Order: sequence, then C-alpha cells, then structure tokens
Amino acid sequence: MRIGKFLQTVPMKLWLILAAAVLFSFFSNDFGLVDIQKTAIILAAGIDKTEAGFSVTTQIAVPKGSDRTTGGTSSVEIDAEGETVSDCISLIFSKTGWVPKLVFCNLIVLGEDAAKEEDAVAHLNYFLRNDYMPDSCLLAVCEGKAGELISSTSAIDDASSLAIGKLFSEAAVKSGKVLTNTLKDFAIDYYGVSKCSYLPYIRMTPQEGGQNDSQTAAGGSGGGSSSGGGQEEQQVYSAEETALFKEGKMVGLLPREQTLALSLLKGNVFTGTFNTEDGGKPVTLTVIKNDGGVSLDSAHAPKATLSLSVTVRLCCRGVTAPVEDIASDSVPEEILENAKATLEGYEEKLWELCKTSGCDVFQLTKMLYRSSLKKYSEWKDVLLETVTPAIETKVISMK
Amino acid sequence: MNKISTRQLLFFLACITPVGKIVILPALLSETAKNDLLFPFIASYLLQAAAVFCALLAAKKGLNFYELLAHTFGQIAAKILVTLYALFLLFAGLLPILEQKLFVQSVFYDTLPSLVAFAPYFLFAVYLMAKPLSSHGRVWDILAPLSVIGIAGIFVLSFGSADFAALLPVGAAGGKGFLEGTMSATAWFFDAALLLPLLGKFEYKKGLAWKGTLCYLAGGAAAAFFVAMFYAIFQEIAPNQLFAFTATSKYFSGITMLGRIDYLFIFALALVMAFYVTLPLEAGIECVLEAYGRPRYLHTGLAVAVTAVFLLITALLDYRFTEVLDAVTKTAFWIIPAFSLAAPPLLLPLRRKQHADR
Repeated sequence: MRIGKFLQTVPMKLWLILAAAVLFSFFSNDFGLVDIQKTAIILAAGIDKTEAGFSVTTQIAVPKGSDRTTGGTSSVEIDAEGETVSDCISLIFSKTGWVPKLVFCNLIVLGEDAAKEEDAVAHLNYFLRNDYMPDSCLLAVCEGKAGELISSTSAIDDASSLAIGKLFSEAAVKSGKVLTNTLKDFAIDYYGVSKCSYLPYIRMTPQEGGQNDSQTAAGGSGGGSSSGGGQEEQQVYSAEETALFKEGKMVGLLPREQTLALSLLKGNVFTGTFNTEDGGKPVTLTVIKNDGGVSLDSAHAPKATLSLSVTVRLCCRGVTAPVEDIASDSVPEEILENAKATLEGYEEKLWELCKTSGCDVFQLTKMLYRSSLKKYSEWKDVLLETVTPAIETKVISMK
Repeated sequence: MNKISTRQLLFFLACITPVGKIVILPALLSETAKNDLLFPFIASYLLQAAAVFCALLAAKKGLNFYELLAHTFGQIAAKILVTLYALFLLFAGLLPILEQKLFVQSVFYDTLPSLVAFAPYFLFAVYLMAKPLSSHGRVWDILAPLSVIGIAGIFVLSFGSADFAALLPVGAAGGKGFLEGTMSATAWFFDAALLLPLLGKFEYKKGLAWKGTLCYLAGGAAAAFFVAMFYAIFQEIAPNQLFAFTATSKYFSGITMLGRIDYLFIFALALVMAFYVTLPLEAGIECVLEAYGRPRYLHTGLAVAVTAVFLLITALLDYRFTEVLDAVTKTAFWIIPAFSLAAPPLLLPLRRKQHADR
C-alpha cells in the first residue's frame, strides 16, 4: 500500500525533478558549450589550391579594447594547409586553441587558381555539410590568392571581409555593378541540371599614398598575423566583374558592362547608371525602373528571348548643357535609341561570352528541363550552341 | 473519467498531426522523389485519412478498443491483440523521439551537445504518460493555436524565397521515386493508429467521421503546402536540409535586421512536437491499461518503465539515427502501415454483443 501511495504522488515529484533539471540546465555549464573566450568567430575564409591540397585563410574577429576611441571590429588572420578544407580548419584550432565557429562566417573567397583548376564544390562541400554554417554566406572569386586578399589591410574598414561585405550590399546589387551569389544558390545551380553559375570577381588595388594607420586598425588583443601593427599597404577592392562557372570550375569572366547587362536581365537594377552617347559625347543615364527576363520557347526548336525594359532619366552629360536641359528629367529620343543600341550590344556580348565559355548562366537548360523532359533529353547537350537568342530591349524615358 | 470533446479531437487532427510531418520527412522525400515529393506525401496523407475515417467511425460503437476486440474474439485473444498493438505503438514512437532528439540537439545548440541536453524530455514524457490519455484534450486546446501560429509564421517568412517552378517537371522521378517516397513516408503516418486507444474516450456525434477526416486533410493540405515550399526554396540541395521547418524561414529579408525572429515560431512548433512524439507511447500504455485494468501503480509503473526503456534506447542509438531511419523506412517499412492502415477498417465489422463474456 505504501508503494501504491508513493507512486500516486510520483507525478508531482516528477514535476519537481523536471523543474530542477530544467533549472540545472540553465544554470549549469550549458552542457559543455564552448566558452566564447575560447572561440574563434570566423568572419571570412579564403581558399587556395596548394600542392598538398588546400590552404585556408580565416579572418577571426577578436575583442577590441574597451577604450571608447577604439570601436569597431578587429581581426586576426590565421592560415593553414591541409589535404581537405576540414583539415585546415582543424589546424587552425591546433594553432590557436580557439574552437573555430562558422556561425558568423559571411564570406568565402576562392583564389583564382583554386576556382579554375578544381571543382569549387570540392572546396565548398565542407561548408555545405556543416550544420552551423549559414548557407546565405556570400561566395566570391578573387584575382590571385584568396589568402592574400583576406590578409590584406583595407583602406576603408578594420577588416578586409567587412570592406568586401560592403561591396556586396543590397545597394551595390541594385546599382547593377555587382552580382552576388550565396553558398545556397551556388550549390542549387551546381547540383541542378544546368550545372552553371556565377560569382563576383574581386580585384584588389593599393590605395595610392595609403599607409596602415595603427590608430584605426590596431590589432587589439589579437596575436599572430594581426591585421594591425605593420606598415602594410592599404587596399581598396572592387567586384564589378563576374566569374562564370561550369561544373564547378571557373570558365570565363564577364566585364563590368556584361555584369550590368546580366543584372538588368535579372531585373535587379534600381538607380544604377550606364553610359551611352549623344552626338559623340558621353551621357550617363540612371535606371529608375528595370524589368528583365530570359525565356525559352521549347514548342519547336528551342528559342531563347532576352527581354529587357528600363525606364531611365538623364543623369549627366559629358558636356555643358543649357539650364532647361538640366531642369528636365526626360531623355531625348536620340539618346534613348543610342541607349538601346548600347544595352543590346552589352547583351549580345554577354550571350557570346556565355556561349564561348559554355556557361549557361541564364539557366536555359533548367527552363527546358522544367518545360519538357522529352525536349530536355533531345537538346540538353547542344542547347547553348544551337540557340540564337532574340534580344528585345526597351528603353523608356521618365516623363 | 474525463472525456475528450469533439472540438479537442478535431484540433488534434487538424493542427497537431501535421507538425510531425514537416521535420525530417520533407528532406527524406526530396532525396527519393526529388521534385515529385508532393505525390508520395499526398498519397500517404490520403491513405491515412481513409484510415482516420474508419477509426472515427468505429467510435460509433461506443466501446473502447479492447472492449471492441473482446466482444468479438474473447478476452484472451483481445489481450494478445491489444498487447501486440501496444508494442506496435511503441515501435511507431521510436523514430519520432529520435527525430525530436536530433532536432533539439542540432537546432537549439551551436555545437552537438551530449544526450544530457535532451534527457529532461524524458522527465517530461514520464509525467505525460502518467496522466490519463483522456485528459489530453485540454493539452490539445492549448497546442492547436500554438501550432497554427507556428506554421502560419513560418509560411509568411518563407513564402518570398520560394520558386515553385522548381516542382516541375511533373513525373521526373518516375514510378520508382513515387514508390520509394511513399515507402519512406510510412514511418510518419500512424495518426489513425493513435485514435484507436482513444475510442471510448470521446463521444461519437453525427458526422464526426467526416468532420474529423476533413480536419485531418486540412492539416495535411497545410503540411503539403509546406513541403512544396520547402522544395521550392532548396530545390536540388533539399536533401541536405534535414530539419525542414527550421530552414525555410531564415532567408526572410527582415531577419538581417531583426535577428532570427523565426525562432519564435520554431520554438512554438518544437513545443507542439514534444507532446506529439510522446503520444504513441501514451497510446501504447493506454492499450495495456484497457486490457489489464487500471491500478494506479500499473499506470505509473508503465510510464516509468517505458520512459526508462526509451531513454536507454536513445542513449544506445545516440549516433545511429541513420541506421534507425533506414531500418524503419526501408527494411521494416511495412510494419507501420500494416497496423495503422489495416487496423481501423478491420474494426468496423466487429459488433457489440449483448452479453459479452467479460
């Protein structure tokens, strides 16, 4: 009977035990979670190809002094070589004793050699498998070594990754000058039927007369190859070109004009500018509305249409203009015709570059696959070479 | 004894049951059926809805599950059948509990924590199991709005990232994809089986079978929409997104500024899941109690014993989820449909005897 009575009160006792366990879980050592002081918060990673396999350079955020004059983010760059990316990350742990955390990693840069010689997913699959890596992380390719880019000293920010992050802001994307891509979207394209994608291509140029200012970019408490401390040359970055990828390898490069054309075809652009001419003199137009798209008609032989519509206003003439002209936003018909010809030229060149590189950046294969399995099996291997696109461009003046 | 009201039962069918199907199942279906993942999902739901209809119709007889069997087959046979059924329910409960464990450990922690992090769930489970099953109606009253808010919130945050054209072309995975998908989905479709231990604990009112089935299908429609949206967001990499409902909403543009506000909805659904995954175990215990009587010590003892066994199994299978998944969805895929689809219709011809041998 006593046992029966005891068991009758068990639910209430269990509640108490449960409450105690929950409290314990909150106030204990968080089940062995890693202390923030022993954690390497990786802001960005650069991957290069080496003879041994890979070299990974990580930019790790380190606490900056509590002094009010030294705000912002300080960083330290650690690099490691290994047979796989995972090896390299483990080595970074061995070298520093900090547990690498990728939760805040918002940028992965591939060195040009790594992008051209090796399937990019061989570098990226570690990040795709990692449950704690945000797949909205931005990807890019850079001229030369990614390690050098990540370790460089930015002229405009405390950490190179933060400066590069600004190049990929929403405003930059809307300007049409930059085409960004994320780990998730790159992987979708790679594993999709087209197997083609694109990434922004970063170039680094020294800032003329720029020297590292130890006041603004001091390495705080960081050690190793801290970004602050030396008299390194300050760098500025640009990402106006776009690298084309086929089956994970970089196969071509779109210049800035074609990057703009692709942005316009994606309908991304708002307040971006482009140049055309008026009577042999340069004129800059601002895009204030953009619709674009690529369609594929697979009813008979596949036929692609690149359609682009932009509403523009006059932004700047390369010559002096009367005040009436400055006061007016509308664009003369002649300039609209020239702008149309300019954009069509960009689109034709874009198509040509994609065709010669074999990169189906327009995802025509995917469109064909989605519209008809039969046509897909018939045309998938020769689609880009066979299709001649119709280019439909409309340039309208703001009234 | 507390009775479950019609409203509570309908809340359970419409709002609680879909939650268990939007965790791992979408990723698993996208692996086997690819862009055709909706077809095996809908087929599984329709089959289960038919079984739910039969289970609710069986409530018309006004007897509980054991009594129904005992009136036809006699007490000994009924005890054997009900014990077998209880074992089946415990088997059906294994995968959802391991799924919940992996979900909690992976999503709520930024490193994979030890089993200790999930252990408090078992304290919670033993308490739930020690309560009479019929008292769960009140729990469903609270969980239903939570579930609706959680699912609706995730829909709103995820919809903008979806490219529904990714579901084309229809039929690309072929018959093989459909069959493999349906096979792997069976492990998550045992809702009709959960209703049998509830027989006798709710009153059959006119049209309940239809209303219940429609509510179940309405919940299924919401889950199917989620599955479509999941594939539309992740497309070819969908199999890599193990915990579907925690993954779709993170691309909402406001998250950059506000932080992971979607976790409010994820937590709401995780709470609903904590109750839902315990239900097969509670239903199994209820079957035994119906057959062998209800001394309090037996109820509490069973709750403690079942929890202890599941805690032990969870500890033993800590890093073997994939093996369990393969075993339940491939090798032994037939066990769950064999009970959950066959048992409810088989109950319908059973008749209540005037003088049952009790």
